[in-house]
Amino acid sequence: MSICVIEHDELCALVERLIRQWPVMGPRQRKQQPGFYYFDWLRSADELVWDYVTTTLPPKKAFFPPREPFLEFSRPDPAKVRPITDQGPFVLLGVHPCDLAAIEQLDIAYSDNAADGRYLANRARTTAIIGVDCWPDEYCFCTSVGTEQARGPADLFLTPIGRGYLVEVRTPRGQKLLGDTAQLLATDEDEADAAYFRSEKQRRITAQLETTVEQFADILAEGGLTEVWQKVADRCYSCGSCNLVCPTCFCFDINDDINLDLTTGTRIRTWDSCQLPDFALVAGGYNFRRERWERVRHRWHRKFLYLYTQYGQPFCTGCGRCSRACTADINLVEVSNDLIAYAQREKRNV
Amino acid sequence: MTTQTKPRVAFFDFACCEGCQLEVLSLEEQLLDMVELVDIVTWREAMSEKSDDYDIAFCEGSITREADIERIKHIRETADILVSLGACATIGCHNALKNQFSMDEVLYIVYGDRAEWFDTIPARPISAVVPVDYQVNGCPASLPEFLTVFKHILMGKEYKPPNQPVCVECKLKDNLCVYDKGLLCLGPVTRCGCDAICTSYGHTCFGCRGLVDEPNLNAAQDVLAKYGLSVEEIVGKFRVYNNWPELSLEESQSDG
Amino acid sequence: MSESDPQLSASANVETYQPTIAHITRADELTSTEMLLELQLDDGQVLGHAAGQFVQVSVFGVGEAPISVCSSPTQTGSFELCVRAAGNVTNALHRLEVGDWVGIRGPYGHGFPVEEMVRKDILIVAGGIGLPPLRPLINLVLENREQYGRLIIVYGARLPKELLFKDELDSWADRGDVELYVIVEQPDDDWPGPVGVVTVPLRDIDIEPAQTVVAAAVGPPVMYRFVAFELLGKNIAAENIYFSLERRMKCGVGKCGHCQLNNLYVCVDGPVFCYSDLQGLDEAVEAWAPPTAEAGGERQEPGKGHG
Ligand SMILES: Cc1cc2nc3c(=O)[nH]c(=O)nc-3n(C[C@H](O)[C@H](O)[C@H](O)COP(=O)(O)OP(=O)(O)OC[C@H]3O[C@@H](n4cnc5c(N)ncnc54)[C@H](O)[C@@H]3O)c2cc1C
Ligand code: SF4
Ligand code: SF4
Ligand code: SF4
Ligand code: SF4
Ligand code: SF4
Ligand code: FES
Repeated sequence: MSICVIEHDELCALVERLIRQWPVMGPRQRKQQPGFYYFDWLRSADELVWDYVTTTLPPKKAFFPPREPFLEFSRPDPAKVRPITDQGPFVLLGVHPCDLAAIEQLDIAYSDNAADGRYLANRARTTAIIGVDCWPDEYCFCTSVGTEQARGPADLFLTPIGRGYLVEVRTPRGQKLLGDTAQLLATDEDEADAAYFRSEKQRRITAQLETTVEQFADILAEGGLTEVWQKVADRCYSCGSCNLVCPTCFCFDINDDINLDLTTGTRIRTWDSCQLPDFALVAGGYNFRRERWERVRHRWHRKFLYLYTQYGQPFCTGCGRCSRACTADINLVEVSNDLIAYAQREKRNV
Repeated sequence: MTTQTKPRVAFFDFACCEGCQLEVLSLEEQLLDMVELVDIVTWREAMSEKSDDYDIAFCEGSITREADIERIKHIRETADILVSLGACATIGCHNALKNQFSMDEVLYIVYGDRAEWFDTIPARPISAVVPVDYQVNGCPASLPEFLTVFKHILMGKEYKPPNQPVCVECKLKDNLCVYDKGLLCLGPVTRCGCDAICTSYGHTCFGCRGLVDEPNLNAAQDVLAKYGLSVEEIVGKFRVYNNWPELSLEESQSDG
Repeated sequence: MSESDPQLSASANVETYQPTIAHITRADELTSTEMLLELQLDDGQVLGHAAGQFVQVSVFGVGEAPISVCSSPTQTGSFELCVRAAGNVTNALHRLEVGDWVGIRGPYGHGFPVEEMVRKDILIVAGGIGLPPLRPLINLVLENREQYGRLIIVYGARLPKELLFKDELDSWADRGDVELYVIVEQPDDDWPGPVGVVTVPLRDIDIEPAQTVVAAAVGPPVMYRFVAFELLGKNIAAENIYFSLERRMKCGVGKCGHCQLNNLYVCVDGPVFCYSDLQGLDEAVEAWAPPTAEAGGERQEPGKGHG
């Protein structure tokens, strides 16, 4: 929509004002381990870190919590089965472009077919989202999946420049959010600063898929890659971390938690992972993805083939979290490139 | 349950440090809720009365002597429901460390030349001697799981220990992975249910709840090497808790 | 500033996972492990299911389980569920009595293409707990018997005492217009009928392949493979074969990911699938190699023809 410049102190004042008005979630540094970050509710603007490297869990936890009690019940009384709706609106700050893309993808998937009312209600409480541009680390590969630029549901998007931030006001809501914050006119120099930041960011991204997402989907659809899957599976713990930290993963489990009175309780939705051995287990002991390699394959297929085919974009934003989190050092880009190389080799051999 | 009134609960201990019972005692407030639902009739740690009429028996500790076998059999016959409480009772725990040595050696190490006065047998979990209906894993027994099992028993529900590694609970809590601090963690192969209590406090998981069903112990030897650890050291770490049955690297290799 | 996003809140309805309350109006033990429950939604609501659809049943404090509606869609005042005790939720359902209540979500999924079956010969293949999802279809056909060609029902169970809906089996057998084949794997002394699995009678039935539509739900995954093999051998086109599949389910609305089979969601795209849509999918019917001693069945050697 429009573009302006906000100086650092003004931005802090804005954050302070938002914190007074709403619950605000943003990236914070881990006290125990500087250099590592996580999203959390903020008590003051100083806790917020704008120039952070990718957090452990993605910001989706603000509106899609890892464990969400969504229904309460009382066993003797059917009238007491009620949705839990005690939360109000909130603001989400400091979201990187890849994570913005992920929120957009979750919105798409959860609105499709029978929409997930629970998710959408939580998203509707997301009063505003402020995005911010970022520096990559060695795991980032957003440029391979086209998520390096701000898109999706950001109301404001900030790019660091010499005298503060170049601010893209992307929605009327973003404009309202700024309120009386001092907005300076963006000069050519500011624009050049921002352009430099963006090009420098892209230059620094070293991890890269060695083919297009279209071709990668074709390669996966073609199949015949069991050897590679098995090699990955040999290392894989099936621990689920790669899914649990992924901003686009949206599988979940539903369980009842009863209180010690054995009468009242809540129904809870919990993030789940298709890498866990019992994910597709049914009564009678039949497991539809019993082998580790079948589960590994499913992760790639779901992100780069099934959902890609369904929605026209891979459900991977290149954030690199899965690779960072994997204690077996299974790196999504490396495995993908192994698959690509293997497929190309096989082609040449026939 | 045998009576119309509240089910009767007893706590027993075998070879162990009794830490699990202390852990349960630490529940305090929830204990008050619990005694609304059950009568606790025997609990050496907490009370002086004793009764030999009970429906639910929580048993802590490993079976390490012939006399233990008789005692646990008697408890099994008396109780409708037998629960093994804590790592010593469920997987053998530290007690089973001695299984790496010959029994004579063990007696000698512990009792010196008075060894011949004592009898000892390879330490084993309770389930190796009598059928067990419910298990609470952990050293000490994990309280979240203790409460879950307690509720399952009273509701007549079957309880399957979760076949997921500690990493799941650790991630759901948005912890920093201790690997990022350059430490080694047994979370990826250890059964969850403790709500990742150790890693949430910044420590490593040392596997006290036993292994998941199909642990991939060979998953990342080169990663371990990066941490300056060898497979032997890892197995050593496992030995501390997982000694029954003898854990051999070959047997536990992944089939996936 | 608006407090919520109008675009998102348009479809926001926190009640996606909120069950409707239903009361139990009848509870009959069919076998030692199967129970037939008749339920009525509160406030006279009509479930409005199609043959082959399922509901998510809640026993609060225990959980939810997907169960096929096994009564005819034309019966609207109440509906029936046939529940096998398999775990915590299903056992809790077994303990319920008339007057107790449960939560119901649904009906969910795609049922059998009843319109396509008009004027066709219908071959029903049911194995064990596979009969309940097929019963609404059988009922529909019997209610409008003149609209359809032959009705052939092949039903197999492990033991004679595990046969479901025995009275109905008798009444079907007594009708002149139903060809019923019942087979058990392990007969007792009183068993008068044939012995074996469902593919045995299937082999000997004469059918007109071009004129026949098949609806099958046959329990253990590996049986689907045998049945498919048998049917294709009879020259029935895959397009005319419908399978009702079971997978782990949590949400029932294509979100939780548990029921996914390749790119399909069994809860939304199924549970009834046309076999031609499953062919070539390595997580569907072909994935299951013949069973070994192990109850779970063994997967095909990895790397053979798929991956
Ligand atoms: C579309 C569909 C229709 C079905 N129709 C019927 C029916 O008409 N009658 C009937 O008796 N059963 C039916 N089932 C099977 C029934 O849903 C399972 O037996 C039931 O979910 C087991 O739940 P539980 O809580 O009793 O068992 P649990 O205690 O949860 O576990 C027992 C076993 O069931 C597995 N399991 C857990 N959750 C599910 C799940 N959601 N789906 C499948 N397996 C699961 C577990 O992995 C475990 O091995 C149907 C299943 C599906 C998918
Ligand atoms: S993947 Fe790209 S957008 Fe995401 S944090 Fe890294 S550099 Fe930024
Ligand atoms: S995080 Fe790594 S080890 Fe764990 S399931 Fe994912 S790929 Fe496997
Ligand atoms: S798959 Fe990995 S890189 Fe892709 S979005 Fe998920 S966590 Fe990020
Ligand atoms: S700290 Fe341990 S349990 Fe937690 S994610 Fe890392 S390896 Fe897993
Ligand atoms: S984190 Fe590991 S060591 Fe700690 S209680 Fe849980 S299983 Fe035991
Ligand atoms: S049951 Fe959740 S996606 Fe099908």
